[in-house]
Amino acid sequence: MSTAGASASETSYQPVFTGETMAALETLFERYPTKQACMLPALWMVQEARGWISERAMAEVAEVIGVTPAYVKGVVTFYTMYHTHPVGRNVIQVCTTTPCSLCGAEAVLRTILQETGCEELGRTSTDGRFTVQEVECLGACGFATPILVNDDFIESVTPERVAGLLEGYK
Amino acid sequence: MSDALVTVTIDGIEVQVPRGTPLIEAAKQAGILVPHYCYHPSLPAPAVCRMCLVEVEKAPKLLPACVTTVTDGQVVHVNSDAALKARESVLEFLLINHPLDCPICDQAGECELQDYVFQEGRAATRYADYAKRFNPVEDFGPDVLYIPNRCILCTRCVRFMEAVAEDPVLNVSERGDRSYIGIFPDAVLDHEWAGNVVDLCPVGSLVSKDFLHKARAWDLDRTASICPGCSQGCNMTIDTRDNVVVRLRPRPNMDVNRHFMCDTGRQDYRWMNRGDRIEAPLIRAGDKLQAVDWASALDRLADTLRGADGKAVILASARASTESLGMTHRLLDGFELTAAVRVPTGHEAPLASIPNLALREERTPNVAGAELTGYTRAWDEALDQAVSAQVVVVLDEELAPDEFDRVRTAGTVVVLGTVDHPAYQAADIVLPIATMAEEHGSYVNRDGRAQVYRQAKASPGMARPAWWVAAEAAGRLAEGRAVPATAGDAIVMLGQSIPALAGLTYQSMGFTGRPVASAAASGVES
Repeated sequence: MSTAGASASETSYQPVFTGETMAALETLFERYPTKQACMLPALWMVQEARGWISERAMAEVAEVIGVTPAYVKGVVTFYTMYHTHPVGRNVIQVCTTTPCSLCGAEAVLRTILQETGCEELGRTSTDGRFTVQEVECLGACGFATPILVNDDFIESVTPERVAGLLEGYK
Repeated sequence: MSDALVTVTIDGIEVQVPRGTPLIEAAKQAGILVPHYCYHPSLPAPAVCRMCLVEVEKAPKLLPACVTTVTDGQVVHVNSDAALKARESVLEFLLINHPLDCPICDQAGECELQDYVFQEGRAATRYADYAKRFNPVEDFGPDVLYIPNRCILCTRCVRFMEAVAEDPVLNVSERGDRSYIGIFPDAVLDHEWAGNVVDLCPVGSLVSKDFLHKARAWDLDRTASICPGCSQGCNMTIDTRDNVVVRLRPRPNMDVNRHFMCDTGRQDYRWMNRGDRIEAPLIRAGDKLQAVDWASALDRLADTLRGADGKAVILASARASTESLGMTHRLLDGFELTAAVRVPTGHEAPLASIPNLALREERTPNVAGAELTGYTRAWDEALDQAVSAQVVVVLDEELAPDEFDRVRTAGTVVVLGTVDHPAYQAADIVLPIATMAEEHGSYVNRDGRAQVYRQAKASPGMARPAWWVAAEAAGRLAEGRAVPATAGDAIVMLGQSIPALAGLTYQSMGFTGRPVASAAASGVES
């Protein structure tokens, strides 16, 4: 994931879908019955490129897909995995649903918040390295507590393991 | 035909409806209103609110009546224990986050949430200790305010903008209990028909800024009327409070405007409340006008017209009723008569997905009615004629100062007007007439459909409907000439001499109008 980047204001906005990215999207279009059906992958491409999806970017996706910006915003805000605010270079998602909670997920979460310097859920650490989020069930109740760092799925995390795990993410 | 009809039993009442009818509509025919929020007859049905759940025999679970179509022999229970229980729960969920601020809510009294909770909701909440979700009020557009806390997310507004107006600027943002109706930051809900989302909103979430805190629903008197804004002739309701018009809303008419009305028509009511009206008949006495009673004024008018000879000109507004236009024309039929209406124009604004519905270029409601009663649109020619005419009658039209200066060279200038005007000092007879909000009358719209509007408020002072003035004067001119007692009589009387209006009665026009015999109308095809 790239840096959250300076906010994409109206004037300085650089379109995501140019050159290779646009070509990649064009290829994706072929796999879907309509352009509109390709909206989720298109949004992923934006998030991969920019780290988050600004309102200006939603408007760009709308234009590329051929729907209205309002429609795209509805979709983006519906899914929790699209970021509508800038995030750190690494996004950590911690499962705190009932089974994990019973197995001490809160302690894991507290430790992560401390170690990363984020201090609060949803906030980005001052060095821009981490953003920590709470998620509902990651589907690994037998291996509590699972966390998701970017695309890496890590099971059986305990407070003791946290510091070591975070080492690998700069 | 019979195979296209299916028979269903709804709460013990058997009805026959066409195949494919949604259960909710079939229930209406049985006289049963299934509570609903997201369903609206003029919008696509998404079945998101779950309020119209009913029990259908042999179905494993409750079904939403808005998207379940009838099948032959179906037995439906709208008010069974299971259905009532389900709907009670739906209402309970809706109220978890609802602020219950009915005392300060504009919708109170005409709110479907209030109605259904009162009808079949729980008496008390089980969520008293739970903090309600809060979102700030948002300004959606020129006349629409969004109060998210009251929203029940029926999405009627989203679907109206998407499927009917085809200008989808609204969405459902977020999900679950955090959902709200969103608008894209740069977008404005300024579509020409956007005001309809306020009517569509079943609760007080989308409110009109214009009507905000103006009146409580139960203080309003509602009158069936016709929008005088253009030649489309949308059916509307005039809401008055203490004789003041405070709001215009669309009235359903599937043949004309379905459930909709444009913002231009909706906002155009302030003139109905003007205070600077002519309140008494005025006749010339020397160099000034003197207020007199109706009998004297009508006698003077009849005297002027007696022994008709030479040219007469009527300069009328196409906002006048067919009755008034017809009776005034009849009053002067002994003269060599030129009669014209002025038709102001504006841009056309169609409602995308509804065929033959638009804010029309012709911004008066009764051009077709005027043409049927002998008027032309040749305004300038009529004005030229007026300069040398024996008698000029100005009917409900405000002449520009220079126009009036030209007209005053005529023999006698008779003004049948509503709003007082300094130029009228130069007229010979000035008679106060009622506006369309103050009289019964009818218009013929551009498709040749005659529609009745009803009196919504009292007229000021001694103002009377123009058809009455013209008919009374005509009665004085010719002994034994029948004088209509009501607007209804007037249209029947006109029907006797004008073939196109033959057989037209207020009863046959009902609340939704009917086509005139010859739909000569304005000749504009849809």
